[in-house]
Amino acid sequence: MSESPRQPHADPLAWVSGSDAPEKPTLDIGFMALTDAASLIVAATQGFAQPYGLTLSLHRQHSWSGLRDRLIEGQLDAAQCLYGQMFATELGVGAQSVGMAVLMGLSQNGQGITLSARLRAAGVTTPEALREHVRREGARLTLAQTFPTGTHALWLNYWLASHDIHPLQDVRTLVIPPAQMVEHLQAGRIDGFCAGEPWGALAVAEGAGFTLATTQSIWPDHPEKVLGCTHAFVERYPNTARALVMAVLEASRFIDANAENRQGTARLIASPEYVGAPLSAIEPRFLGRYEDGLGHAWLDAHPLRFFGEGQVNPPYHSDALWFMTQLRRWGLLREDPDYLAVAAHVQQSALYAEAAGALGILLPGSYYRRATLGDGSVWDGSDPAGYARGFRLHALADAPL
Amino acid sequence: MLRILLIDDTPKKLGRLRSALVEAGFEVIGESGLDIDLPDRVEALRPDVVLIDTDSPGRDVMEQVVLVSRDQPRPIVMFTDDDNPAAMRQAIKAGVSAYIVEGIQAQRLKPILDVAMARFESDQALRAQLQARDQQLAERKRIEMAKGMLMKMKGCNEEEAYTLMRRQAMSRQQKLVQVAEQIIAMNDLLGQ
Repeated sequence: MSESPRQPHADPLAWVSGSDAPEKPTLDIGFMALTDAASLIVAATQGFAQPYGLTLSLHRQHSWSGLRDRLIEGQLDAAQCLYGQMFATELGVGAQSVGMAVLMGLSQNGQGITLSARLRAAGVTTPEALREHVRREGARLTLAQTFPTGTHALWLNYWLASHDIHPLQDVRTLVIPPAQMVEHLQAGRIDGFCAGEPWGALAVAEGAGFTLATTQSIWPDHPEKVLGCTHAFVERYPNTARALVMAVLEASRFIDANAENRQGTARLIASPEYVGAPLSAIEPRFLGRYEDGLGHAWLDAHPLRFFGEGQVNPPYHSDALWFMTQLRRWGLLREDPDYLAVAAHVQQSALYAEAAGALGILLPGSYYRRATLGDGSVWDGSDPAGYARGFRLHALADAPL
Repeated sequence: MLRILLIDDTPKKLGRLRSALVEAGFEVIGESGLDIDLPDRVEALRPDVVLIDTDSPGRDVMEQVVLVSRDQPRPIVMFTDDDNPAAMRQAIKAGVSAYIVEGIQAQRLKPILDVAMARFESDQALRAQLQARDQQLAERKRIEMAKGMLMKMKGCNEEEAYTLMRRQAMSRQQKLVQVAEQIIAMNDLLGQ
């Protein structure tokens, strides 16, 4: 642990030349074209890393698989990652098992489930109507998500199941790259999708669909993207990893500081180099302003956020456990992992505490947080194995349906 | 003979790869252009090998194919050569990823990967990375210099100067260092 809070701005070069200096000064950082990559983009381009002796080189990726492979092969040092995917990689679901590390949370909230304009025209605009519709003969719907073990797959599954629709039996689900969602929805090849922004907002703007549910309605202030790297990277470059967390924390604090910074950030990330979507599709939801394409408009109480006075970023162990329970629930994990040990291995809470502490950012009293989900259920990280088995709808091969 | 499916969903043209593989005596059974059709194509054609650009958005669709096929008689897995990790790294660098029916041996796949790697454009990322390393120190000094000029010009403190520079940079979709250069140039012009 560090002994005292550091003041990097007072003398940045002291930090750079000290014994805590980053072992690796230039980092290759991967991100996807999504609005929740904002804190990495701001950290890399707006001078937040230099005071810590780091230069961040951004590399836009075109798939979560490619991003993962480049992390593993060392072509990327760290990247924006899907929470669920980190644990699928750690536990070898669908690929070789590689030790991974969650350095910090990057964002909460801000994903959504979109349905087609065709369903809207048919009056399928509520969960109840959707349930009726999928039960009708010959009405098998196709819903897309972005990665089989990613957050969007798990939000979609959770939401459908909480409305008594079995995601693996009552509908067909498939994976589509997020940037292609609106086009496929428009062309009638899919009936809906769950993805990050700006793709849901773009579907509404182009009249291709409507927002059926935001993910913050599933779980207010849910964990979403994380800053991830391999476990080997943290072991080899601990000072670099800590400096990186500090830089991204400062960028996150900057974005959430006021509306002006948020607007500036929205404009920056709209660039073709980063998200590459119209500012008009990015900015409103980035500022919490929602329109669902059904005539409702609201200022969301739990919009996409990057800092939230430090509540967004701790690598909570209970968040890690939740994603593992859902991978288990849907049969992606064939057996119970050693939940607590895996969470302790992946979540870099000690390193986070050093970085946040040095910046005077409030640390959580516990890395287990208690959450009440939209369906009224409570998750506090206790008994993950029992929680994974406690759902009426599931795909556990070894449990009665 | 191994039956190959090519996935052609990126601007890098795979057109010549097909003929190169055929000329080298391999059997190319199809191409797929639309990511959404990939699972059906794999199901219908039953290839032994699927070749795809490492940076293709369709990679994530293949991830689903891998998971769905886990319990089928011919499971499809991402090719990773445990005996020769360097070869794998080279393939990713060249931009080729391969998915194979589980059990196919690495030496049977190697000649196919060799043809594919030769046909893919070489990776430019490494060059950009080397450039960034040289710029790093210069960038920090230029930002500091511009910040000092701005503090003097506006009579503001360090944090306010940073905020002003960042607002300007973000509204123009530029890096902070670019705005720093503009401030330095303006300062020179005004002869301060």
